[in-house]
Amino acid sequence: MTERPTLDEARARLKELGYLDARVDRLLFRPVFAGRGGAFLPAILIGAFAAALAAVAAVEASETGFASSPLSVLVLFLFVFVGNLVPAALLAAVLGAAAERSRRPGLDATLAALAAAGVIFGLWITGTYGLARELSLRSLIWGIPVAASALFLAAAVRLGFLARALAASGSLPGRQARRVFAAAAAVGLLAAILLFATRREPPAAEAPRVSPRKVPTIVLAVDGLDLDGAGKDEGAARQLSAGAIGWWPSAPASPPELWTNLATGASPAAHGVRALARVRPAGSPLALRPPFGTSWLLRGIGPRVGLVANAPVSGADRRRPDFWEVSASAGIPSLSVGWWAAAPWPGATVVENRMILARAKSGVEADRIAIGIFAADVGNGFGVGTVYLPGCDIERDDPRALGEARRGIETLLAEWIARARRSDCVLVVLAADSHPRTPGALGRIVVFDGDASPRSVRIRPEDAAPSILARSGVPAARDLGGAPVAALFAAGSVETLTVASWGPRVVPAAAARPESDREYLEKLRSLGYLK
Amino acid sequence: MAPAVAVELVHAASLVLDDLPSMDDAPRRRGRPALHRVHGVATAELASVALLARAFEVVAEAPDTTPGARVRIGRELAAAVGASGCCSGQAADLSADPAAVTLDDLEAIHARKTGALFVAAVRGGAIAGGAGERLLTSLTKFARNLGLAFQITDDLLDLEGDPRTMGKDAGRDAHRANFATILGAPSSHRLVDELLESALAALSPLGRRAAVLADLARVVRDRRS
Repeated sequence: MTERPTLDEARARLKELGYLDARVDRLLFRPVFAGRGGAFLPAILIGAFAAALAAVAAVEASETGFASSPLSVLVLFLFVFVGNLVPAALLAAVLGAAAERSRRPGLDATLAALAAAGVIFGLWITGTYGLARELSLRSLIWGIPVAASALFLAAAVRLGFLARALAASGSLPGRQARRVFAAAAAVGLLAAILLFATRREPPAAEAPRVSPRKVPTIVLAVDGLDLDGAGKDEGAARQLSAGAIGWWPSAPASPPELWTNLATGASPAAHGVRALARVRPAGSPLALRPPFGTSWLLRGIGPRVGLVANAPVSGADRRRPDFWEVSASAGIPSLSVGWWAAAPWPGATVVENRMILARAKSGVEADRIAIGIFAADVGNGFGVGTVYLPGCDIERDDPRALGEARRGIETLLAEWIARARRSDCVLVVLAADSHPRTPGALGRIVVFDGDASPRSVRIRPEDAAPSILARSGVPAARDLGGAPVAALFAAGSVETLTVASWGPRVVPAAAARPESDREYLEKLRSLGYLK
Repeated sequence: MAPAVAVELVHAASLVLDDLPSMDDAPRRRGRPALHRVHGVATAELASVALLARAFEVVAEAPDTTPGARVRIGRELAAAVGASGCCSGQAADLSADPAAVTLDDLEAIHARKTGALFVAAVRGGAIAGGAGERLLTSLTKFARNLGLAFQITDDLLDLEGDPRTMGKDAGRDAHRANFATILGAPSSHRLVDELLESALAALSPLGRRAAVLADLARVVRDRRS
């Protein structure tokens, strides 16, 4: 027998003899005969892969130092990949149904492929555009692997579509010109270049011009204070009824989310604080929020295999400045005690929530510690001073302890309302409940400003921070969700000037504190915050 | 319908001849004793000639077909059977030296022995239906690729098939060179897939009208007998 030809040699010779003469997609035939269900499997996997790559590219362009932690990159990639499998499968099912009914499978497959590639480009461009503070050349370089993955996805979608159409109809279109997809990738990259180049950077933060105020603004933030239900705190309700009241309908939220809304004047989408605990790649400042249906994976399995760790919410998760950070940046000595997601800030004295809770065995004790620290420090020339008191929220299920916590609050209110009446300060009481039990319960900002008469106006929670700052002489930012409510304060006392923005909050990545994080999480569990 | 009947008659004649002792000397065909084993060689030869003659008779009498189309179909069929088709292919096959046969030799044998009748079958039907030259070219491509895929599958079945499902003895061609023995089974399977891909792609100008022909590709790939 003559020497055996190889497959390639046989293929080449048969082509010369006039066989294998059609331009076909080599990957197409097998999936058709392998079964209809498998036709879109490569597209689903490549789609989830490409989406994960686009997400990593967008985050890398926006998070300083993110790519220096390979674990962070890996975790985010796996996280988005798994999270996108279900939507990719659903889209594949839709495409499959469309393919079986298509009368022009060649054209329709190409359109579906272009749409799939467009989705990937869209994810990357909008993600990078929205997240990155500065769009550098590096942002565009990420476009190369993203474009490659989008092209692979386009090819897989087209093949899957054709395979399904072929399985349904027996009609196989010839191979389309690949130039269509190459051109689409070029268009995607060009669109990214144009968008990135013409992007208007967020307005630079203007140095707040402060109109000095003679008296400090004191903010008492009381969580879980029931002023509406059958078992409401009658004493506090009576005390607060003498102030100017701004109110809003309460809605359930995690305590950090609610109180960060109030402290930043921004929505959760803008400030980024939503939950008590987040999932972080070990050693990374990046926080991940599990997409629908993937929480079990990230929270349940991730920590066990050492990929991620549960971490309590912190100031590193917050993207907008709290009001005391703005006032401190404006040169007003500022004090903050016990707030959620607080962090050290230049010019401010900040006592973090975790420091209070670490020393407290109960809500009553937490209030007592916070009030003690606040009372000791607030007399040291601060222009803005605030304390967050969680006692009523923590003790809501223990009537005896709740009564004790309420008495502590009433004492504190009495003291500060008296000072406000003497015009020693402007008193702002934030009374809100992250777990409202009474239908129709309200959140409130109650202001005691000299001899201003009691009144009641509806406001938004996001109005609180700009109102506090405007009364302290700091111009409000126009890019906030909220605005100053002058009606709550003494006539003419609220700063009317505004600035475009207080700017983004840029915080150096905090060093991971795994030991401290564990203790804090345990404390949150023991106080009933975490189950 | 007439061209299809004619092709089947020609095919049956070729199988009777192929099984004769002077050819493949096959004892069984389609699970039953070969014709010459039951009725003798002479009767089998006469039956084969009769089948061939009947095939051309059917074409000549084809209803609903123009005289010109009948002539063209008859010519296609004659080319598939005659000196440029089955006969020369069989002659080349019988005289081939298994130790010296090349890929080109195999292709030449199969293109005439098997492929020619595939081409005639497809083109005959298309001519009867009034197909133009462009369509005929596409269908010829389809038939050539499908025919070779069919033949390689046949070789693979002889190498790997189950005699109970094939209806004939396996391994009878083991001493003869074929695609499966020259290329090996994995490469032959791959080649079958690619030939079928090309066959299907050649049908693209016909769209859904070619669904029945496209199904043939599936039949060829999945055949077990």
